[in-house]
Amino acid sequence: MSATLATLAVAALPAFVASVVEWVEAFTIVLAVGNTRGWRSPLWGVVGALVTLGVIVLLFGAPLVIYQDQVTQSFHILIGILLLLFGMRWLRKAILRFAGIIAEHDEERIYQREVAVLREQSMTGSQNAWDNIGFWLSYKAVLIEGLEVAFIVIALGATGGSALQAAMAGALAAFVVVVLAGALLHKPLSFVPENFMKFVVGSMLTTFGIFWGAEGLLVEWPGGDAMLPVILLGVVLTSYVGVRMLAALSPRRAPEGVSV
Amino acid sequence: MNAAWEQVYGLLVEDGQIAIGTLAAFAAAAAVSVLGGQLHNDMLRNLAGPLLFVLLMGLLLVNLYAAGRRAYPATPATPSAAGSSVPKK
Repeated sequence: MSATLATLAVAALPAFVASVVEWVEAFTIVLAVGNTRGWRSPLWGVVGALVTLGVIVLLFGAPLVIYQDQVTQSFHILIGILLLLFGMRWLRKAILRFAGIIAEHDEERIYQREVAVLREQSMTGSQNAWDNIGFWLSYKAVLIEGLEVAFIVIALGATGGSALQAAMAGALAAFVVVVLAGALLHKPLSFVPENFMKFVVGSMLTTFGIFWGAEGLLVEWPGGDAMLPVILLGVVLTSYVGVRMLAALSPRRAPEGVSV
Repeated sequence: MNAAWEQVYGLLVEDGQIAIGTLAAFAAAAAVSVLGGQLHNDMLRNLAGPLLFVLLMGLLLVNLYAAGRRAYPATPATPSAAGSSVPKK
């Protein structure tokens, strides 16, 4: 039971949160395409991209899982570095957004911009006719956003046991949630706190990256897995210091109580 | 393939400074671990974990500071500049 919970916490949860962020971004583009050029082709684009992503995950994820016992140390190092590269990137971007140095992702604005661009392009035939532009636009949007998810699913899933299935389930559950929410609301999901979620995922990936990367270097952490929340706390506290530091550098001083 | 390349490019080139720093921090921790192994010193080897954490968090703060400095360049405290940024009492 505890192993199942640990797998859920380590693989499924971060994969779910990371996937929600990416699927929301992809959904905005698909919605814009569907509302301006009809739904048939963009929906096939989504299906095509999901199949491509599934093949990528199985192609690269399955061998990693199958052969991990034979290359345990170098495998931990590889996964640790991969998680750190993604985690540090997400963490940095999220902190810079909290501090207002780079703009927050605004799904409503992106949607309006995409709709305006698509309306300028002429469309032949009815809304039910096959539309190459609609297909490829939504295929590309889902594939690009999903690739980051695929990398994260592979990295989280490669930690052994049923982690790959858990990570894939997390990503698929996120897809279902976003599609259901989108179908119900039929508008960009701009209420989703994307930056906060990116910060959460960045913190978790960085934590796992430090933990597993060090294990790859044959480090024995005091307390074993119990060190994970300690490292996570350290990452969150450092991020808070980063936000405060940036607020102090800002000429227009951020208000008190900036939250991370 | 283009989409995959964009991801790798973004990871290693767009955020190159933090990617290179991450790899360097990992290499430093690996060096400490190897040294600890060669000296048969488990304590030294196990220090590689906390060292990796400290180096990465330091890297993050330095990178954020640099980004903050680029976004808000320090201006000399001339009366006109000070007047534009400091609220009047």
